[in-house]
Amino acid sequence: MDLFLQLAATGLVVGSLYALCALGWGLIYGTTLHFHVAHGAVFTLAAYFAYAAQKFLGLPLAVAVVAAIAAAALSGLLIDLFIYQPLERRGAIRTTLFIASLGLLTLIENVLAIIFTPDPLRMDVGWLADSIQLGPVFLTRLHLVSMATAILGFLALMAFLKYSLWGQAIRAVSSSPEMARTVGIDLRRVHLLTYAVGSAISAPAGILVAMDVGVEPYRGTTFVLLASVAVIMGGIGSIPGALLGALFLALLENIGVWKIPSEWQSTISFGVFLIFIVVRPRGFFGRKIQSAEI
Amino acid sequence: MTAYLAHFLVMVAIYAILALSLNLLIGYSGIFSLAHAAIYGIGAYASALAALNLGLGFWGGMVVAAGVGAFASALVAIPSLRVAGDYYVVASFGLQVVVLAVFMNWTDLTNGHAGLPGIPRPNLFGWVIDQPFEYVFLAAAFAVLTWAVCWRLTNSAFGRVLQAIRDDEIAAQAMGKNVVLVKIVIACISSALGAMAGSLYAHYITYINPSSFSLHESIFIATLVILGGSERLAGPIVGAFLLLAIPEVLKFMAIPDTVAAPMRQIIYGALLIVFMLVRPEGILGRARHGR
Amino acid sequence: MAAEPPILCVEGLARSFGGIQAVDACTFDVQPGVITGLIGPNGAGKTTVFNLITGFLGADQGSIRLRGRELLGLSPHRVERLGVVRTFQHLRLWNKMSVLENVLLGCDTPAGENVFSLFLRAGAVRAEEARARERAMEVLQFFGLADRAGELAEDLAYPEQKLLSMARIFATDAPVLLLDEPTSGLDSESLGRIVPMVRRLVDHGKTVLLIEHNMELISELSDQVVFLHQGRVLAAGPPAEITRDPALTEIYFGV
Repeated sequence: MDLFLQLAATGLVVGSLYALCALGWGLIYGTTLHFHVAHGAVFTLAAYFAYAAQKFLGLPLAVAVVAAIAAAALSGLLIDLFIYQPLERRGAIRTTLFIASLGLLTLIENVLAIIFTPDPLRMDVGWLADSIQLGPVFLTRLHLVSMATAILGFLALMAFLKYSLWGQAIRAVSSSPEMARTVGIDLRRVHLLTYAVGSAISAPAGILVAMDVGVEPYRGTTFVLLASVAVIMGGIGSIPGALLGALFLALLENIGVWKIPSEWQSTISFGVFLIFIVVRPRGFFGRKIQSAEI
Repeated sequence: MTAYLAHFLVMVAIYAILALSLNLLIGYSGIFSLAHAAIYGIGAYASALAALNLGLGFWGGMVVAAGVGAFASALVAIPSLRVAGDYYVVASFGLQVVVLAVFMNWTDLTNGHAGLPGIPRPNLFGWVIDQPFEYVFLAAAFAVLTWAVCWRLTNSAFGRVLQAIRDDEIAAQAMGKNVVLVKIVIACISSALGAMAGSLYAHYITYINPSSFSLHESIFIATLVILGGSERLAGPIVGAFLLLAIPEVLKFMAIPDTVAAPMRQIIYGALLIVFMLVRPEGILGRARHGR
Repeated sequence: MAAEPPILCVEGLARSFGGIQAVDACTFDVQPGVITGLIGPNGAGKTTVFNLITGFLGADQGSIRLRGRELLGLSPHRVERLGVVRTFQHLRLWNKMSVLENVLLGCDTPAGENVFSLFLRAGAVRAEEARARERAMEVLQFFGLADRAGELAEDLAYPEQKLLSMARIFATDAPVLLLDEPTSGLDSESLGRIVPMVRRLVDHGKTVLLIEHNMELISELSDQVVFLHQGRVLAAGPPAEITRDPALTEIYFGV
C-alpha cells in the first residue's frame, strides 16, 4: 500500500509537469491548429535560459526562473512570427508547417547539445531539493512546488481565458477563426499572443524538470509528444481536458509500474492512447470531430 | 577505397528503399509518419530472428519482415486513420517509442542493448553474397524493385485515388472512394517495403542493435523524403544520395566526433526549415504555380 | 398516367448543432427523372440537408430512402456507391490534377484501384483503363470540355470549373445527382452554358436535386420545388405555385 501511495504521489508530480506542457501545447493547437512540435524546443530552451541566468549571470534562482519564463514566451512568439506566419502567408498546408516545426525542434535541440554538450547539467536549487515526508510518501520540496505550479498555472489560464479581453479573443479564434475575423479580431495578433501564453505556461515544466534531474537538450521531444497524447485524450479545445489527460497519463505510467516492469511504461501509455482513439476519439471533453467545412 | 565506396552505395540503396516507401505515405497520401525507423527495425529484427531462430535464410526472412512490418503498421493505422491525420502522427510516434522499448527490453527475444550478432549473409542457391560489390548489386536490385512497385502504384487508377485524397479528401469520399481503407492499404504497403529494407540491412551488416532504429532515424528518413521531393519517384533517391553524402563531407572537414552527430542533425533541421520556406516541393518537385 | 414512386424519400429528418435546430421534421420526396429545386432563404438548412443525405453529417432523427434502401448512417462513399452523388458549393475540384483525371476518378476502375489486381492482372487493368479514358473523353465532350482535357483543373475559368464538377459526377453513372448551387457566381452568359446542361442531365434519365438561390431561375430550372425555411419544409409543388405564393415570397426576401 505504501508503495502504491508513493507511486501515486510520483504520478501526480509527473502529471503536474505533463499538465503544464499539455496546457501550453493544447492552447496553441486548439487555437491555431498548428502541430507545434517545436514547443518541445521552447520547453528545453526555458531550462537552459534558467540555467544560464543562474550560472553565467549569477542571478538568484527565483529571478532566473522568471527571466527564463519570459524568454521562453518570447521564443514561442518569435517562432510563430518568423516561421509559421510566413509559411501561412505562402499558402503552406499543415503538413508543411509540421515539417518546419520538426526541423526547428531538431535544430534547436542540437545547437544546445553542441553549446552545452549533451550531458545533463545540474542547477543549484538549494533547499528545494530537501525531502519531506507526508505519511508514507517521500517527496522533495521541489516536487511540491511542481504540483502547486501546475494548479496555479491551470487556474491562471482559465481565469485569463474567461475574464480578460485577450483571453476571450483567443477563445473566439479557437472556436471559429472565420467568425472571429468577421467580428474584427486580428488573427495574427491573437496567434502571437497564444504562442506567448502557451510557451509561458509550459516553460515552468521544463525548468522544474531541469531543477530536479538536470538540464538536457533532448528531453523536450518526449515531453511535447506526450503532451499531444494528453491533449487528444483530454479533448482538443478543452483546457480542463488537457489537465485531466496529463494527470491520467502520468498516473497510468507511474502506477502501472506497480504491476508492470518500468521499461514498459511507454507501451502502456500508447496502448491506452490507441484504445482511446478507437473508443472515444474526441477524448474526455473534446468537441465532436466534425468533418471540415463542407 | 573501393570497399568504402561499395559500403556507401549499399547504404544509399537501402535508404532509397526507405525513402521511396515513406514517400508513398508522406508524398502521395499526405500522411506523416514518425515511425518509419521502427518499421525498418521491425524488418531487421524479424528477419534476423527468423534466420537465427528458425533457420530461414535471407529470402524467407525478408518475407517474414514484410509481413510483420505490414501487421504492425495496420495495428496503428486502423484506429488512427479513421479519425484524422494528426492522430496518425501521434500514433506513429507511439509505435516508434513502443517498438524501440520492445527491442531494448524484451531481452529474451532481442538481446536488448547487446544486439544480435551473427546474422547470415544471403544465400542464392549456394552462392553466398558476401563480397562488397556483390551486395551493391543485391541492394540495387531491391531498390529498383521497390521503385518499380512504387511506380506501378502511383501510375494507375490507385495512384489517382491517392492524389485525389491528398488534394481533397472530402471530394474523394463524395465520389465513392473508401478513403480510410486506401490509407490503411498504403500504410501497410509502405511498411512492408520499409521492413524489407530492414531485412536487407540486417543481412548486410550481420549485427543489429536498437540504436540504429530510434526516433532520430525516423526524422532522418523523413528528411530524405522531404528534401528529395515527394512528387517524383526520383526525388527520394536523390535525397538519399545527398543526405548520406553530408556526413562523409563532414568527416573530411575533421570535425570532432562528439560534435559531428549533433552537427548533422542541425544541418538536417536547418534544411527542413529552409526548404519548407523556400521550396516545399523539394529538390525535384514541380515548382508551384505563381499564384 | 401512373405515377412512378419517388426515387428518394426524406422523412422527418432532423439535425441540431449545439442548441440550434438546423433541420427539423424535414419531409419531402424526389420524383425520378425530373429536376427538383431545394430553395429557401439563407441559412434555411439546404446544404445541411445535402450533407445529411450524402452521409457527411449524421442525422439526429429521420430517414432517407433511396428506392427503399435506407441511407442514414452510411458513410459518404457508401452513399455514392448506392447511387447518390453530389457537387459542392466550393467545387472541391482536384486542382492539381488534370481535367481528364478529375473525370477519370468518376469512372469505374475497380481493377486499377485494387492493389492485388494492379499487380496480378495487368492485362485486365490496362483494358479497363483504356475503356475508362474513352468514357471520360465522351463525358468531357458532352460537357464541351474535351479540348481542355490535359489542363489542370485550377487553370480553368470559373464557369468551366462548374461544368467540370458536374462532368465528374455525371461520369459516375449514379442515378441521383445533387447539385449544390450550380449557378452561383455566374454571369448571364455563363448561365447560358450551365442551365441547358442541367436539362440535358435529366434528358439522359438522371434525377436532379439542386439547391438554388435565384428565384428567377427556379421556374426555368425545376419541375418541382421544395421550399425550406428554418430547417422545415414549408411547401412543395410546381415552381409556378411556389413563386406566386406571397407568403413564401415574403419569407424568402425577408420583407
